[in-house]
Amino acid sequence: MQHEVLIVGLSHHTASVGVREAVAFADEQIDDVNRRLCGLEGVDEAAVVCTCNRVEVVGCTRASVGVSERIAEFLRGAQGGAAHDLVPHLYRYWGRDAVRHLFRVASSLDSMVVGEPQILGQLKQFYARAASVGATGAVLHRWFHKAFSVAKRVRTETGIAGRAVSVSSAAVELASTIFDRLEDKTAMLIGAGKMGELAARHLLGNGVGRMMVTNRTFDRAVELAREFHATPVPFEHFGKYLPMADIVIGSAAATSYVLTEPMIHDTLRERKGRPMFCIDLSVPRTFDPRINAIDNVYLYDIDDLGTVAEENRGERGREADKAEHIVAEEVESFWRWLGHLEAVPTIVALRDKMEAIRRGELQKTLNALKDLGPREREALESMTEAIVNKILHTPITRLKQQDKRTEAFYIDAARRLFDIEDADES
Amino acid sequence: MDLIFFGVSLALYLVAAGGFLSHLLVGREAPRRVALGALWVAFGMETVGLAVRVLTLGNAMLNSFHDQLSLLAWLIVGVYLGVQTRYHLAVLGALVSPLAFLLTLSSYLVFSGAQTLPDELQTAWLPAHVAPAFLGYAIFALASCVSAVYLLQEHQLKAKRRGLFRRLPSLETLDDLNYRCVAWGFALFTVGIVTGSLLAKAMWGTFWSWEPVQVLSVLAWLLYAVLLQTRSVGWRGRRAATLTIVGFALLVVSFLSLNLGLPHGRSFG
Repeated sequence: MQHEVLIVGLSHHTASVGVREAVAFADEQIDDVNRRLCGLEGVDEAAVVCTCNRVEVVGCTRASVGVSERIAEFLRGAQGGAAHDLVPHLYRYWGRDAVRHLFRVASSLDSMVVGEPQILGQLKQFYARAASVGATGAVLHRWFHKAFSVAKRVRTETGIAGRAVSVSSAAVELASTIFDRLEDKTAMLIGAGKMGELAARHLLGNGVGRMMVTNRTFDRAVELAREFHATPVPFEHFGKYLPMADIVIGSAAATSYVLTEPMIHDTLRERKGRPMFCIDLSVPRTFDPRINAIDNVYLYDIDDLGTVAEENRGERGREADKAEHIVAEEVESFWRWLGHLEAVPTIVALRDKMEAIRRGELQKTLNALKDLGPREREALESMTEAIVNKILHTPITRLKQQDKRTEAFYIDAARRLFDIEDADES
Repeated sequence: MDLIFFGVSLALYLVAAGGFLSHLLVGREAPRRVALGALWVAFGMETVGLAVRVLTLGNAMLNSFHDQLSLLAWLIVGVYLGVQTRYHLAVLGALVSPLAFLLTLSSYLVFSGAQTLPDELQTAWLPAHVAPAFLGYAIFALASCVSAVYLLQEHQLKAKRRGLFRRLPSLETLDDLNYRCVAWGFALFTVGIVTGSLLAKAMWGTFWSWEPVQVLSVLAWLLYAVLLQTRSVGWRGRRAATLTIVGFALLVVSFLSLNLGLPHGRSFG
């Protein structure tokens, strides 16, 4: 019976966070869920994947009727019927579509933020959990590991993960083209605008070591500073603290420039020329645009950052196309492997291979011993046949005897050991 | 026989240059590894080639333009390979490999077989001068490459246009590496200048004779001294990068003045 692969689940594409919450399994439930999935009729192997953006059951079966329904039913019932109306949110992928889906998930092509790196690690964890309770077999083993290697290929061969697509992350990206490391850098946030807050949060999240906050209303500065574990600085003399700042983020509402050319000249003198990255996120702008002309000062306003992010978005789109190509290629390779994972064709192929070897070797011997009579030739013929049959007898019997869980392993092993074509693509 | 080794390394430098460049443009890992491997092998080949020359010619090799050029290529690649174990800067490889290629190619073109050493150069001061001076040259050459990358990256950041080269190292990394290179190069070059004047003394009985090589070297030395000193008052970044390149240009002229027939009174400095 042919192995069929399938995925049943829901993700941020099909279900709101409310629905996902209702279906999601807690960490301590996972082992039990994997065991129970395997106990479902027709399910040979199963692994549940449960992140905040998706709940999916990856499975393998040889009884195509009713399996996906049973898994869907299981998902609905698992959380005490809290998620009674799952049907519109659930997707079911079979065959190639299922293979492609898992590869795309692993490569972060199906993620909310395409290219985010966490999903691969999560997938590895969930596979390991399922394997640890014996819920997986040869098919899932191969499928998941193929997915991991596809993800790796996508990561190294395309730029999908490398580009910042939001204004805040563009700021971080630029900061790291100026500075070697952000851990020993200090940022100063001027003003309490939303964009500035976002950029500051992003910079802190990416390792910026220290943060100062200043605002016309000092109380607001103190408030923000508390949130960021930063130091509040009185607005009247923030210039005094400016030389400490490697990165300055402007996010204030002002009618005149807050950061002026002479100020930056003084600051730079005190900084002994160490570079400064000025990010002006206010509209209208609060940093004098002319400071970009000063040596070792790099000024980016919100439009500049937007352009960077936009370029990256375009590039990411192109990279995603490349990634889809890789996925499609790998789906075919896995599909071929899966198609060969059957006992009878494997046994036939094994016999054919042995027979070809037997004939070849026999012919060589007969060519060398030209003076043999027909009787001796026949004797050699039947002797070699007997040898091949005896050698193959046990392996073939074993291949036929396996149950649903172990069969795929043995077939795969036989194909690899005897190098039967298409047994392996990786 | 030794030319075979140089020939092979010549081809490998080209492979390395292509590898580093395609890594820079496309961002894949494999070409970078190939390039680095090619560079190591090329370095090994050139080492053997130079060793053969040293064994057959002894100190006399230091007096041939051919060997000086391949020695420079070898040193520059060696310094880069050393540096890249700490700073993974493929972009430097993309500059160093073609540079090594050009130097080795020129050394090929000016090949003149066996050399003899004039009597006045039969002194231990010759290797004592050439070793530190050439190592200094090599490090300054690397510093100039670093500076060139700095200027490119700086220009891209200022102009807010990121062209083909998006995978350049950070300005801070480049500036820091440039400073280190200049400091080391300066130390070695200082030794080279001192032993050079001792060599001059041994040859003609005078430390200083207004040779172009002497004047230009001392100018470059002064410039680098200024560069190192003014860093603490804020001459870094673009200005430092530009000065590094200017200093190196002086050194190139001074080196060529020795070998390409600018008016001078001796065959070697």
